Amino acid sequence: MEELKCYMPKTLKEALEIKAKVDVIPLAGGSDLMVSHKRTMGLTPVFEKPVMIIRNLPELKRIYRNDKGECCIGAGCTSEEIAENTLCPWHLRQAASRMGAIGLRNSATIAGNIANASPKGDTPGPLYLLDARVKLSSVRGDREELVSDFIVKFRQIDLQPDELITEIIVPYSEDDFDYIFWHKVGTRKANAISKITVSQAIKFNKDDTVADYRVSATATGAKTNRSRDVENIIIGKKITPELTEQVIEAFDKVISPRAMPEFRREATRRMIRRFLSESAKRPKGKVIDTYEGYSVTGAPTPRS
Amino acid sequence: MVACDISKAVRRVDAVSKSEGTIKYVSDYSFDDCLWGRLVRSGIPRGKIKAIHLPDLPEGYRFVTYKDIPEGGHNYLHMIATDWKCFAEDEVRYVGETIGILVGPDRTKVEDLKQKIVIDYEEMTPAVTIDEGLECKGGAFVNSDNIHCRLSLNVGDVDAAFKKAAKIVTETVETGFQEHVYLETNGACCIPEGDHYVVYASAQCPFYIAKSISPLLNLTPDKVIVRQTTTGGAFGGKEHFPDVVCGPLLVAAYVMKKGVKMFFDREEDIENSVKRHPSKVVFKTGLDKDGNIIAMDSTVCYNVGGYLASSFVVLQRGCFHVTGCYSFPNIRSVGLGVATNTFPSCAFRGFGAPQTLFAVETHLCHLAEMQGLDPLEYKRRYFIKQGDTTSTNGKVVERVMIPEMLEQVMKASDYERKAREYKWGSGRGIGISFYNHGGAFTGNGEQAIIKARCQLHKSANGDVEILCSQTEMGQGFHTILPKIAAHVLEIPMEKVIFKDPDTSRVPDSGPTAASRSTMIVGELVEKAANLMKPRYDKEEDFTVETHYEHPEGFPWDQSTFQGYAYLGYGWGVCAVEVEVDPCTAEITTKGIWSSHDCGHLIDERIVHGQVNGGVIQGLGWGSTEVMQNIGGHFKQTSMSDYIIPTSMDFPKQGVYFVENPYQWGPFGAKGMGELVFNGSAAAYIDAVSKAIGKRISSIPLPTEEVMTYMLHGTDLKSELQEVR
Amino acid sequence: METRICFRLNGKGVALTTDPLRRLIDVLREDFDCKGVKEGCSEGECGACSVLFNGKMVTSCIIPIGAADGQEIMTIEGVSATEKGKIIVDAFADGGAVQCGYCIPGMVIAAYYLLSNNPDPTDDEIRLGISGNICRCTGYDLIVESIHLAAKRGGAIWKS
Repeated sequence: MEELKCYMPKTLKEALEIKAKVDVIPLAGGSDLMVSHKRTMGLTPVFEKPVMIIRNLPELKRIYRNDKGECCIGAGCTSEEIAENTLCPWHLRQAASRMGAIGLRNSATIAGNIANASPKGDTPGPLYLLDARVKLSSVRGDREELVSDFIVKFRQIDLQPDELITEIIVPYSEDDFDYIFWHKVGTRKANAISKITVSQAIKFNKDDTVADYRVSATATGAKTNRSRDVENIIIGKKITPELTEQVIEAFDKVISPRAMPEFRREATRRMIRRFLSESAKRPKGKVIDTYEGYSVTGAPTPRS
Repeated sequence: MVACDISKAVRRVDAVSKSEGTIKYVSDYSFDDCLWGRLVRSGIPRGKIKAIHLPDLPEGYRFVTYKDIPEGGHNYLHMIATDWKCFAEDEVRYVGETIGILVGPDRTKVEDLKQKIVIDYEEMTPAVTIDEGLECKGGAFVNSDNIHCRLSLNVGDVDAAFKKAAKIVTETVETGFQEHVYLETNGACCIPEGDHYVVYASAQCPFYIAKSISPLLNLTPDKVIVRQTTTGGAFGGKEHFPDVVCGPLLVAAYVMKKGVKMFFDREEDIENSVKRHPSKVVFKTGLDKDGNIIAMDSTVCYNVGGYLASSFVVLQRGCFHVTGCYSFPNIRSVGLGVATNTFPSCAFRGFGAPQTLFAVETHLCHLAEMQGLDPLEYKRRYFIKQGDTTSTNGKVVERVMIPEMLEQVMKASDYERKAREYKWGSGRGIGISFYNHGGAFTGNGEQAIIKARCQLHKSANGDVEILCSQTEMGQGFHTILPKIAAHVLEIPMEKVIFKDPDTSRVPDSGPTAASRSTMIVGELVEKAANLMKPRYDKEEDFTVETHYEHPEGFPWDQSTFQGYAYLGYGWGVCAVEVEVDPCTAEITTKGIWSSHDCGHLIDERIVHGQVNGGVIQGLGWGSTEVMQNIGGHFKQTSMSDYIIPTSMDFPKQGVYFVENPYQWGPFGAKGMGELVFNGSAAAYIDAVSKAIGKRISSIPLPTEEVMTYMLHGTDLKSELQEVR
Repeated sequence: METRICFRLNGKGVALTTDPLRRLIDVLREDFDCKGVKEGCSEGECGACSVLFNGKMVTSCIIPIGAADGQEIMTIEGVSATEKGKIIVDAFADGGAVQCGYCIPGMVIAAYYLLSNNPDPTDDEIRLGISGNICRCTGYDLIVESIHLAAKRGGAIWKS
């Protein structure tokens, strides 16, 4: 095959064949790659490797539930498509609906957001929280890997040269929890980059002990932070202020924010404390936010 | 149709073409035969240029520097002062300083070649902040003390008052850089035509460009014809800065004997354009035993950057506004324009006044709060009135309607109840600020310096053309001036023509700056229309001209800064209500209410739009608009890093006005474009301070800073530091 | 490397042979003279370059033209010629939405996209709908009011 500067496959099969032979950069939405490779106005971006445009591959645009009831999201689905689709888990829809500008959300894809491996990425927080997996396809076949393993570290992913992210599979949703929490502190109220985002979910047993608790935070380290060990501190026990503080202190050791560390640590502490103490009260409704006033303050309410 | 009341809103003449996208901004012209230019700039904040290594330039490509300025030409840009060079010679004073312009026919090739230019420097230690500038870090590079300019003001006897004071307290208030973020970035094209050059530019002040850059080629200003193109926002950022863009284009066009065009992308524009001056105001305030202010001393330091340019005038306006809307018995203010190795600061909506107004409002809040008083009650004691002495020993000429405006804002915002119910530190707060803005150039500058002229020309078909140098940059002037003329002449607005100025065919009516256009040039148009009116039906083709004349009896001494600095001020009152998220320290603004006195409104909807935009720009300055300069480099270089407000950040505003016609303005109108920026940040900070119960004395205030104050801030009731 | 790319632009089939990595905004402005598509930030942040891509609002500065092959693009030139577009333009003019105008073509696209999906939006929904379009002049209030006006004037048209 003659090496081109840009490939424009029409089908996934064609795309995987190209990927098997040529070291190409897959480009779907363009919201990261076209920006990081831009030159000045009117000039064509320059890429270090050939590019493969996969924006319109129909195979990557589906959202459905598989036979295990897991939510499967095509890699090429945009943030806006995810935000609008109620099949998608609540945490993910929240994150997708608050990612960048609307015009960008209609381009930016979930796979791109994962593959970018930015510590400030919006979707990894919920994906870590819900034990989501990426499906990686190649002419050799498919494999799956936890998103939290797939993102190796800052700007590095576990992708073989011939592989393409084709699907994101999310096994959990809000239905699996009694209370859910997602809060992004952005640089402003919309069209914002995350300063800190915390996702949480909790399920209680009948005796008020915690059946499951999860917390993830983004923009708090080189990659999204989550620790089952920290969550296990409270699982199987009843929420008490003392245990809550133990969770907070343990999670504080997991995160490692470089810029504005005090703010990011303190906001994380407060959001965990808030969620655990509020959910212990077993309020009506499912969503807990940072404070009562929030829902009526005109702060963004993502489309349901 | 003739409007019966000039305040009644009409459709802006440019609204449809702008909405349909058919109007042409400078980058929408093809300028087909022109070459492409890219500026090559200093990558270091301070040092000497040792060598410039160029790649092999193909035929038709050229790197143009100061060496290409012809004999007799001057390598400077005339921006009030003449210290800012068009091209750096051996010394560079800031990151982004123009060293040369690379030009050629293919823009990709130009960019490729530009990337290959290597410049060797002998680097020197830069001074970046005001404090570093004052300390002469790395050695002084302007005068012996890094002070570009200074002034002092004195009313009464501050030292004597201090001797009698029960207490003297000090406080420092600081503000940061602000980037204009006009949505259209800078761009221009310069084309040689016969014995002259034609410049097309996105700009506020076409005559400024002609005067500023013509000395580069030793030309008279009339040989550089400037045609303003539709300008997509300016806010002061296109007052003098287009000179920096157009100067190199002119020299390149001279060298290449061809037109040269250049458009900045956003990153280039943010990194390499002027900003609002960061400020540091140190107050020393003398209080009597009852806590009343008997004397206020202030040192006003502005970060001017590498070159002075227009900054002395900015600093003057800052000092003149340092007492805000108040009358204090003894006032002293020293202004210092500090040289630093940052991009030179320049005009930005408010022109130096917002910084000192923010400072005095904030300081008064803290003086009140340390006494346990609501700031409003304290500020009320000092409201300035007609006939009172100003900071320059002049008098306030007009009626001051602050009490009436306050009444409107308090009623609309339910201020009294909220101020009572929202306890300090409760998570909710409502703040209020008072501000003004002296309209037009200081003192007799309009007559002594600007000497504005304006013409109206009637054609045989009955059309009337307005000929002046005022520009439309979004503020609505293409609608305002024809409306004034049509109203006086009692002809339909469609019969009045007002085009983007071309310096070869319009008289110089001065810059579109200083909130002077409606107030000064609008008045000239009203006068001209009145001269034309009796002749309109009788004569077919004629021109009338008017000249600015300063009212008698209001002396001003520009050498001592004494006298009547401004004849007409705009006045404003703004209230802001906020809530703070106790988990995350995020601030949500719940309400914004303002009342303004801009005389009689020429078009209530245009004025309404100016209020909305100015208030939000001020709130951005006070909250999210962080622009850091680290080691001489701006850290925020894109619109995702530099955070200006979206539609979600602030709620719908309550907008109110008082009617207070100004005797020397058209139909009683006064300047208002800058006024509406001047106060919202102070009201916001007052509200946030109360909500978190902590004293805040610097802006901007991003969320993480709110958290820092919540954790470590000083309680509002604690005493300010005492000095003797 | 040049490739032939065909797409529908403002309702008409068009084709060009060009580098597929050129930005959509550049092709629209330079090859098809759609100068109403404005460049504000070059990174999909400000919304000035908004166009409709298969009916969805996107920022054309971050899309390579290759991605438009076989797709449908509407620019402000196309939108403002439609009945719905005219209603918005008129409402913007009457409502005082326009100042410097540079963000406005993108804002019209945002309003069109919003009203086409939500014919009778609340204040908050309008603010959300234009939150990806940055305006430095207006403070947004009169834009929000103008979009209300367009919703009201358009009435049933927005549901069609």
